[in-house]
Amino acid sequence: MPRMIGNSITQKIGSPMEGFQLADLERKQITLQMILAGKKGAVVVFWSGMCSHCARYDNYLNSFGQRYAEIGLVVVASRPPETLAQLRATCATRQLRFPILKDAAGQLAKRWFTQQTPRVFLLDANCVLLYRGAIDNFKCPGDPEFVPYLDIALEEFLAQRPITRSEIASFGCAIQSIYYDFPKAL
Amino acid sequence: MRAMQLDTPDSPQPALPRGLSALVETCLVTMNSMLSGLQSAIQVMSGQPTAGRSGAPVKGPKNMDSAVSEFADRLVRIFRFKSWESSDPRMLFAELLKASRVCFGFVNLEDPRNVVVPLQFVVSSATLMVQQALRGLVSYDVVGPRKFVRFVGDFAESFTDTPVFVGLEYMDLIAAYEARLGRSPGDDVLRAELGHLQIKCGLYNQAADNLLKAALNPAVRATALHDAAVALHRAGKLKSAAKAGSDSLYACPDNERARAWLWLTAQKMGGYPAFVPAGQRMEVKVGYETPKVEFEDIAAKIGLDKTSGGRGIAVFDYDNDGRLDVAIASAHGGCTLYRNNGDGMFTDVSVGSGLEECVNPFVITVGDYNNDGNADLFVTRYGFYDGETQLFRNNGDGTFTDVTAAAGLKLWGPSFSASWVDYDRDGHLDLFIANNLGGLFDRKTPNRLFHNNGNGTFTEVTEAAGLSTLWPTIGSAWGDYNDDGYPDLFLSNALGRSQLYRNNGDGTFTDISAAAGIRDNCFGSVSFWCDYNNDGLLDIVQFTWSDHENVLHTMRHGEAPPDGRPARIYRNNGDGTFALLGRNVGLTGCWGTMSGNAGDFNNDGYLDLVLGNGSPRMDRLEPPVLLEYDGERYHNVTFAAGLPFGGKGHGSNMADLFGDGRLSVLVAAGGAYPGDLLTTRVFCPKSLPGNFLNVRLTGLKSNRSAIGARLSLESGGRKQHREVSGGSNFGCLPFEQHFGLGTSQTADALQIRWPSGLVQTFKNLPINDTLHFTEGQESWKRPYRS
Repeated sequence: MPRMIGNSITQKIGSPMEGFQLADLERKQITLQMILAGKKGAVVVFWSGMCSHCARYDNYLNSFGQRYAEIGLVVVASRPPETLAQLRATCATRQLRFPILKDAAGQLAKRWFTQQTPRVFLLDANCVLLYRGAIDNFKCPGDPEFVPYLDIALEEFLAQRPITRSEIASFGCAIQSIYYDFPKAL
Repeated sequence: MRAMQLDTPDSPQPALPRGLSALVETCLVTMNSMLSGLQSAIQVMSGQPTAGRSGAPVKGPKNMDSAVSEFADRLVRIFRFKSWESSDPRMLFAELLKASRVCFGFVNLEDPRNVVVPLQFVVSSATLMVQQALRGLVSYDVVGPRKFVRFVGDFAESFTDTPVFVGLEYMDLIAAYEARLGRSPGDDVLRAELGHLQIKCGLYNQAADNLLKAALNPAVRATALHDAAVALHRAGKLKSAAKAGSDSLYACPDNERARAWLWLTAQKMGGYPAFVPAGQRMEVKVGYETPKVEFEDIAAKIGLDKTSGGRGIAVFDYDNDGRLDVAIASAHGGCTLYRNNGDGMFTDVSVGSGLEECVNPFVITVGDYNNDGNADLFVTRYGFYDGETQLFRNNGDGTFTDVTAAAGLKLWGPSFSASWVDYDRDGHLDLFIANNLGGLFDRKTPNRLFHNNGNGTFTEVTEAAGLSTLWPTIGSAWGDYNDDGYPDLFLSNALGRSQLYRNNGDGTFTDISAAAGIRDNCFGSVSFWCDYNNDGLLDIVQFTWSDHENVLHTMRHGEAPPDGRPARIYRNNGDGTFALLGRNVGLTGCWGTMSGNAGDFNNDGYLDLVLGNGSPRMDRLEPPVLLEYDGERYHNVTFAAGLPFGGKGHGSNMADLFGDGRLSVLVAAGGAYPGDLLTTRVFCPKSLPGNFLNVRLTGLKSNRSAIGARLSLESGGRKQHREVSGGSNFGCLPFEQHFGLGTSQTADALQIRWPSGLVQTFKNLPINDTLHFTEGQESWKRPYRS
């Protein structure tokens, strides 16, 4: 039975996701529809500049547009203590080139049932949820056990084939945690 | 009473003479009692509130004991991470001042009661030193002088890292290292440390770059190359990893960790590359005994291939459709609930279930605490760091509600294993929580027993029950060893002695460890009760955690070194005493066992074992271990049965996921660091290895989950016995009891002794089936619904 949270219900694979409007690092308002405009679909990534799991995907996300020109990409920074200034500094240091939106109080993450970063959502042009979860299985290309879940889903979607695995539990750093409120360890 | 002698082949000679060790231990325990008493007296006389953990220390410690421990931890972190600044005394002073403010900020100097604070500080520090000395004594006793320093180093590194990683300060730390390197680009020691840190963060390529650069310096070459091999292996650059590993061994030919890692890389490559000389190769001589059943990893095929820092796995029927569902708790991945579709596949139903909000879970244990017919979940956190426990009530509609606070179970501490148990047999499940250590200088947090009031709330009864212990506890297992109907408690203590408490049946317990012959020192890991030899008496299986060197010795030589402490069995003699068994029944290997369970996966009528092994270290991967028991000895069949070579297992479980008699082995894999994530494995027998009978119970007068029920099955002239467990370690076994029947074609008689005391016997049951019995009812039914 789906559970109500606010006005949204549990998102099911194959059902449309609710839209959103968030500010980017230049405080410009961006909507999901804007990401999807002219595209066959979009990938929304919940992300944090403080998360080492996310840092693993810097190159992947930087080059995403070249590999998937027909798919929009947007990264949502939902960890509340992370400020715009910190995010800008992270982009500069790590030379990040993908669009980042600030989910100020982590509300979108909550509505999209997302507790840790990174977690990806693949949507079609009508916002229908096609894939949700991990980008890969944490192995690296070259490792015989490497499985690129998101790439597989994207390729199946672009080839208009059914998506074989539409949900893989995501891993990563908790978006909200009591430990972030502790006195600094260092 | 006939107590077992300690000098058995399975109780290796300790590093210290026994008399001296016992004398020092007694002195330290006495000193600890005296100092603790003095602390309490000071508090009472000064009118201060009593010490103890009282919620998350969001603004820093709240009492002297916590403050002194935290201050000691911070001193180590300052020394370790900021030592390069120590040449500047002002910087060091500023760090110390900052640490003091954080730790002792709770002291209100205007409160006249705090005039005793200096005295409290001294006494608290002395208590801490005594407890540390006690743990040091045990550690020295267990690992011996040769490996003691390295063991302490590994231990300190992990514990010192934890607060940095849980607070996501590692990226700041990397930035600090990089800034320092910017100022001193030739500091190869620092560069190697940075690489070591980057591996823990999963930034393998950056780590490898730094480590290979640092390796040009002969002073750090061997260790940097070994770390580089680890980073490159994890980055999927296997040939480069092998090269770095080989070069590391040229630099330090005795580095067994590097040799083992090179072997692991070679396994992934399909063999050693030609450039690796014979002297650097190793042969693994364990795990190749002939299995009765072979396994295949079906996790990806059935949808249970969750990647994370896997912790507990619970197998239970959350939606009462008869099929066994799975919940996986993970560090770096939250709690995931998988519904068994009944078509051989599992669907992730976490979103919207309420369990998706449970982050950083550690152990999941299942029990129907409110007897409403829906299995509820209790979750602990971290185990090696402080966290908050959670109770999730199953609403029966696919959702769970966090009722922790309302139930009175909102607890803060280093909770490790937890067990549901009806210790007073009132028909309501009570809860026991075992507490470990939450930091390098942590004090023992008391284990806690909560009595179920029968109205959704719990009352703590630990002190009245007499269950206090000084040792950090990892495993806690309940079982009725003396057949008096009341469950007794075994504690598998880390860095200390194991303990057995007899349930007196009146709400109190008596520590009978010495009289029962349970006094051996070891690094106790998880444990459980089971009748391993089918004699009708519950025995104790205790797994142990071994240092890396002993594990590597086991792999190379086929057995543990003479001073190693492999897993052990305390065989119940039936007269209140236990005999310590180990190597003489085939438990010959040392592993870093974090979890494990028993189940008859080859269906031959004897319980086999699975061990989930590992350690936080990034260069330590070891296989899950399968031990088949043939009625006389355990046989390590791990690799021959088709399990992989490298892993890091926590929750290790066995369950008949498809109701077809094949007992799958589930291993939640992954380590402590964010860079050490692995994928859950489900090893399923390739074929049905023998006949079977699965039995499920529902209590009516007894607790609904029938935890504590005793089952005896007679089949083909042989008897087997089971007791339904309410969880004893990471993996919470299903309540369903699996009996392997071998070639026997009959299930002649099943006797059920319910926790209420009711005894029922059922004769001539069908085999190769799953049967569900309800307390007091004369017929059974099949649980699977279409």
